[in-house]
Amino acid sequence: MKDKFKFLIEYGLEKKIKSKWFVIVNILLLALMLSLCNIDRIITFFGGDFNKETKILVVDNIGCFDLLKSQFDLNKDNLSKYSMENYKKDLKSLKKEIKKDDNTVGIILNPNEDKIIDVKIISNGYLDLIDSEYLKSIIYSTKIVKAIEKYEIPIETINKIYENVEIDREILGKNKKKEEENMEMVMAYVFPSIILPLFMLILLLVQMIGSEINDEKATRGMEIIISNVSPKIHFFSKIIVSNLFIIIQIVLMLFYGVLGMLIRGKQAIEANSELYNYVNTFKENISIQLTDKLIYVIPLFIILLILTFIGYSLLSGILASITTNIEDFQQLQTPLMIILMTGYVLSVFAATFDGSLLIKLIAFLPFISAIVAPSLFIIGQFSLIDMIISIVLMLGVNYILIKYGLRIYKVGILNYSSSKLYKKMWKAVKEK
Amino acid sequence: MLKVSNITKYYDELKAVDNLTFEVKEGEIFGLLGVNGAGKTTTFRLIMGLIEPNEGIITLDDKKIDYNVTDKIGFLTEERSLLTKMSIKEQALFYGRLKGMNKKDILNKLDNLLKKFYKNEKDFNLEEFKKKKIKELSKGNQQKIQFIIAILNDPKLLILDEPFSGLDPFNIELFKEEINRLSKQGSIIIFSSHRMEHVELFCEKILVIAKGKALLEGYLDEIKENFQKKNIIVNGDIDIEEIKNIEGVISVNKQGMDYEIKIENKNINDKVFKKVKNYKNITKYILQSPSLNEIFIEKVGEYYEG
Repeated sequence: MKDKFKFLIEYGLEKKIKSKWFVIVNILLLALMLSLCNIDRIITFFGGDFNKETKILVVDNIGCFDLLKSQFDLNKDNLSKYSMENYKKDLKSLKKEIKKDDNTVGIILNPNEDKIIDVKIISNGYLDLIDSEYLKSIIYSTKIVKAIEKYEIPIETINKIYENVEIDREILGKNKKKEEENMEMVMAYVFPSIILPLFMLILLLVQMIGSEINDEKATRGMEIIISNVSPKIHFFSKIIVSNLFIIIQIVLMLFYGVLGMLIRGKQAIEANSELYNYVNTFKENISIQLTDKLIYVIPLFIILLILTFIGYSLLSGILASITTNIEDFQQLQTPLMIILMTGYVLSVFAATFDGSLLIKLIAFLPFISAIVAPSLFIIGQFSLIDMIISIVLMLGVNYILIKYGLRIYKVGILNYSSSKLYKKMWKAVKEK
Repeated sequence: MLKVSNITKYYDELKAVDNLTFEVKEGEIFGLLGVNGAGKTTTFRLIMGLIEPNEGIITLDDKKIDYNVTDKIGFLTEERSLLTKMSIKEQALFYGRLKGMNKKDILNKLDNLLKKFYKNEKDFNLEEFKKKKIKELSKGNQQKIQFIIAILNDPKLLILDEPFSGLDPFNIELFKEEINRLSKQGSIIIFSSHRMEHVELFCEKILVIAKGKALLEGYLDEIKENFQKKNIIVNGDIDIEEIKNIEGVISVNKQGMDYEIKIENKNINDKVFKKVKNYKNITKYILQSPSLNEIFIEKVGEYYEG
């Protein structure tokens, strides 16, 4: 019997991996991951340019270009895609140049007796909202300096005005650390991004097991299979094959991601300042604040995730066994999908509803915990013990599914009638 | 030897099999007969261990049938039990491996059987045919493949539930050859069919069941011999009304060129013969046992609910 179990696993896995659809989907996934990692290059290739510098031409009618330039240089980190130069020609020529090149912006500074300076910004297209705010900020700073000069304020006063404000942060909440404050926002975006592919894979897992069992039932091939191997062997071979397949797919997706980043190269990441800044912020946060947490959260998350995958596959196998066609199975799996979707939405909003007891309680629920609990753990709303409780609960549910679900499965896979279905299943649960 | 001893199976309140007992020895071909819903498929599922009896025991060579024995069994289900997305070769390998066979043996056996079963087909390309998906095959070809796969392991016990469904007379002949070969090599063969002529063609021993209960069991010759009613086939110018008036004559029907006279028992034959010999142009007079079909209808009729 062991040989047959081994055969079913090997055969099932080989069938999935050697199928032309697996190959096609993985070629598409590889192409997608490589494209996502190099999206700016692709856009640039088709006519866009993320790194092309925007030239700011300043028509200075009040003699404060140097001041404006010094403010611009102070904000160079935020305006890395911009350069600034003093434009000596007239307004007509400026507009002509701007019309010719989308990456040219004009700033015209004129004197104003009441408001110190009048400013006009000319561009061919729309300005990036954030960049536009930075430009306004340096113009505003220039105006203040100009005003200080005009009203002859002493240098000491000026220094005090410009001195950075030191803010001492204190958080009174239990188990809250000020170092983790930024992490909430980072993880609120990072974790759902990690979970989305896993969410998709759970959907794939449920569908895969359901359609296979239904196919074997509908063709009555199940009669031959079960006359040669026990329902238990058949059931567990399906669970193991499907989960191994999902793990292989996760590993492949990670590999495609790493490959994409390798092809992109470090320099190329740095060239894309926004991505670089994002990665850098994340790296800093990880190195300073998260390292100790990740040591626990990654293994716990993997354990919880594997248990959840197993839970979903057990449940979908049991549901598939009691249905007689794929349409019925699809209807029965709808509640599962709603549960999964709820978990995903809650994981996205976990950081927003900081301290919500409801979200915390839901994070303990098996089938949802793998999606919500790690997010809460990272943002400090879930303790290590809470995380372990989630794992134990999921383990318990899997045990119940194996113990009682297998009884349903044994009866369900050879049942082709939907009459008195729930009575039959209940009877199966009660029988030893 | 296959021994089915006092098995009873309930589906909720319904008694699907009622205290059924029979034995089939090595080399015997056993027919399990009954109308739809009589309990034939349930009996096969019980033998295969797919469902557990509420009472009774089933043994093969004195061992309870479980997963240690099923490798020796071949099973052809009434409905197609082929995984239609697979090719013929994949299907044979899949079911063969589940029977504990190795890949090489499965492929050799498959090739031999395919050659045998498709020997009459012109331009038959074995390698190409094996690559065909089950769903691409005709109903008859699917049935042939299902049969081939059921006998891949040269089963000790072969269970055939309605094996001739969808087959033409040529293919029935091919099945017959193979079933006889297996029987000669000592396999126990048990099958069901609605077609009594098929049962007569193959079976030595039968069991007629209705509502899960055994109605008639034994060797076909003995059953026919012991069956009281007989038929007389006559060819000539007979007076039908005169014959009908003989006591013990049940009916007289024209069948093609002949007349079939049904009598209550063989003692009536003398009376009929005395009458018939006086008629002119009598070229045929045969006393014969009734067909299995007649026996079946006679025995099962009162249980039949349409």
